[in-house]
Amino acid sequence: MTALAEPHPAVDRAEEIVRFTRWSARRYNRARTSLPDLFVDVYVSVLALGCAAALAVSFVLALRGEFAKRATSDGGLITDPVFVLPSQALEMMLTFTALAAVVVLSRRLGPLALGGPESAWWLSLPLDRRPMVWGPYLRRTALSGAGAAAVYAPFSILTALERSPLTHAYAAATFGAAVAAVIGIAGLLQERPGAVGLKVAAGVVVAGGAVGAALVPSIWTAGAAVVLAVLLVALVSPRAGLVPGSELARAGAVSGHVGASFYFMDTNELLRAVRAENRAAHRRGSRFFARPSRRPFAALLRADIVAFVRLHPLPTTAVLWLVACAAVMMVDGGLPLFAQLAVLGIAGCAASSGFGAVARRAALVPELDGLVPVSAALVRTSRAFMPAVVMTLWMILLGAVLVVLGAAGPMLILLTGLAGIGMGAGTVRGATRPSTDWSAPPVETPFGPVPRAQLASLMRGVDVTVLSLMPVLLTLYLGAVALPVLLVQGVISVVVFLVVAMTNPHDKASA
Amino acid sequence: MTVRGTVLEAERLLVGYAGAPVCGEITVSVAAGEVLGVVGFNGAGKSTAARTLAGRQVPISGDVKVHGLLANPDAVPFRREVSAVFDEDLFFPSLTVREHLLLVARGHSLPEPEASVEEELTFFGLHARADVVPESLSSGQRRRTLLAAGLMRPASLLILDEPEQRLDPVMREALGRRIRTMADNGTAVVLVTHDPQLLRDTASSCLVIDDEVTLGAPDAGAAIIAGSR
Repeated sequence: MTALAEPHPAVDRAEEIVRFTRWSARRYNRARTSLPDLFVDVYVSVLALGCAAALAVSFVLALRGEFAKRATSDGGLITDPVFVLPSQALEMMLTFTALAAVVVLSRRLGPLALGGPESAWWLSLPLDRRPMVWGPYLRRTALSGAGAAAVYAPFSILTALERSPLTHAYAAATFGAAVAAVIGIAGLLQERPGAVGLKVAAGVVVAGGAVGAALVPSIWTAGAAVVLAVLLVALVSPRAGLVPGSELARAGAVSGHVGASFYFMDTNELLRAVRAENRAAHRRGSRFFARPSRRPFAALLRADIVAFVRLHPLPTTAVLWLVACAAVMMVDGGLPLFAQLAVLGIAGCAASSGFGAVARRAALVPELDGLVPVSAALVRTSRAFMPAVVMTLWMILLGAVLVVLGAAGPMLILLTGLAGIGMGAGTVRGATRPSTDWSAPPVETPFGPVPRAQLASLMRGVDVTVLSLMPVLLTLYLGAVALPVLLVQGVISVVVFLVVAMTNPHDKASA
Repeated sequence: MTVRGTVLEAERLLVGYAGAPVCGEITVSVAAGEVLGVVGFNGAGKSTAARTLAGRQVPISGDVKVHGLLANPDAVPFRREVSAVFDEDLFFPSLTVREHLLLVARGHSLPEPEASVEEELTFFGLHARADVVPESLSSGQRRRTLLAAGLMRPASLLILDEPEQRLDPVMREALGRRIRTMADNGTAVVLVTHDPQLLRDTASSCLVIDDEVTLGAPDAGAAIIAGSR
């Protein structure tokens, strides 16, 4: 039966255009989905969600028990810190950082957005755009708020052991509503991107939300946050149709890119998607680049250095991870040793991954590697040079902080510096990981079918970064720098760097 | 022929990316019923200029005016007056060809949308594929769908970016006649093209885009295209 033969809803106005598009899409999808397929999809999804939820709950409860025991025993890596950070301050700092990240991310992703086809077919129509964007925006905001509350609940349970279940619920509700409120402000900022008042308001909501959720959660903070969120979202409502079409299309493109990255579980693609361009840094290093180079490798290295300083204008994220590491060490009562070591490991991996923009960009165009007449190993060496230098500096700073706090002797700085070389090389290994072979039959797991070699692909890069960190973590565990460990660290870092340089990421045998 | 007013005006327009111009300054005006051909070598800046004239890209300097008002694709009257077809292969994956066209017809409040859609399907030879989703279409058929959507709606300014791409010679010829008819009915047309025959058949003047931008006769533009091959 043709589309015209069936009764079409009237589509004379924007609302009806939206309804017409959705109606047609639903009809098409229904025609191609059989009931047994739908049942299997629902069954697998519910089962996977149930398994994940059960694992998460048991993990949180186990951790809570461990933390409770820990609270009555001795400290972590630092037995007698020079400065003690109240545990609530750490909780508030983390909540603040999470809310600040939501502000940045929601501006990157919209929150008012239109996907590719919608941008192409709806934006050119001489109609009010509000009905096109309002529904998805509202859904996004509500889901983000609910999701944030669900994620915050275990965080609250783990960090504030003395609170009652009801207070945890208030904390989660406060955080979820604060997330919805900052998404509301992000929506207003899309219409007026230069409004200083809105940016200040975002800062106030982030700070207030952090204090409310982490320090004084109650029915009042939760209620106030919900009222604020509703108010802000209501303010977006009449302005939703005034957001420029180019902004809606941009946000839709970024959101689609992020969604596809999640769907394909491609972390490199995800980092490419959320990374903001900094046009101010585009001319950085021009004079250095213009200097003559005698050898091809020198020219390549020069190009990689300039690309690095242009694509990494500010090391904000790496500095934040460093601050987080220091804060975790200084927290009152001390986190369990394994938790502190885990934070160091996660921070190291995250910081090094953040310095892989050049390698990630270059990986999109493999032809670039052949532009200069040098071997592929030298190309990878050149690409790993700057991440290794920067990670060495980052690790030296981390080592210095740990030494000042009393985790180990001054030789720790040398050890962490050496580790940075291997971690920097790991950045390039992760950034050039080959895509998963989706044509291979999947492996069945309790969470549903997982593509073969997906895990191996995800771990590529992280593997050598963690390996390079192992001697540092061992030293911190022991509390003293042993000379053999220092030697082992040197060997590991050099070997990791060489392995990364010598391994062709597109060679299946070596991958 | 009656005297017709200016529809599109561009004064000392500089187009490009991140503040870097891709071609020389453009000063041009297109009246109702006029077809302005735009030609140039690959990378000369033709599509960038067309996108800027269509209000989809902010100019580095200079202004674009449509009916005396600054080009603003966020203003409803601008969207009502300007139809632009670029090589954007974006479709709703679950809407058929007919539904895509119906969406445009209804969105522009055409008096008889179903009949208008039928006419376009016939003109572009898409009847047999009207009830399939774009994924099932060939590249040329998708191009025809985009052109049908751009040409079926009322507009006083039509901007086409290389509409001949992926079309067979018969369809190119029919498209040329259609553009000429639309111009005769009062539509101002900006036609970016690499096809000398299409240019000769339709254009009343020609803008040659390079480091310097010059306005000349269509034959001169056609000669430049032929020379670039």
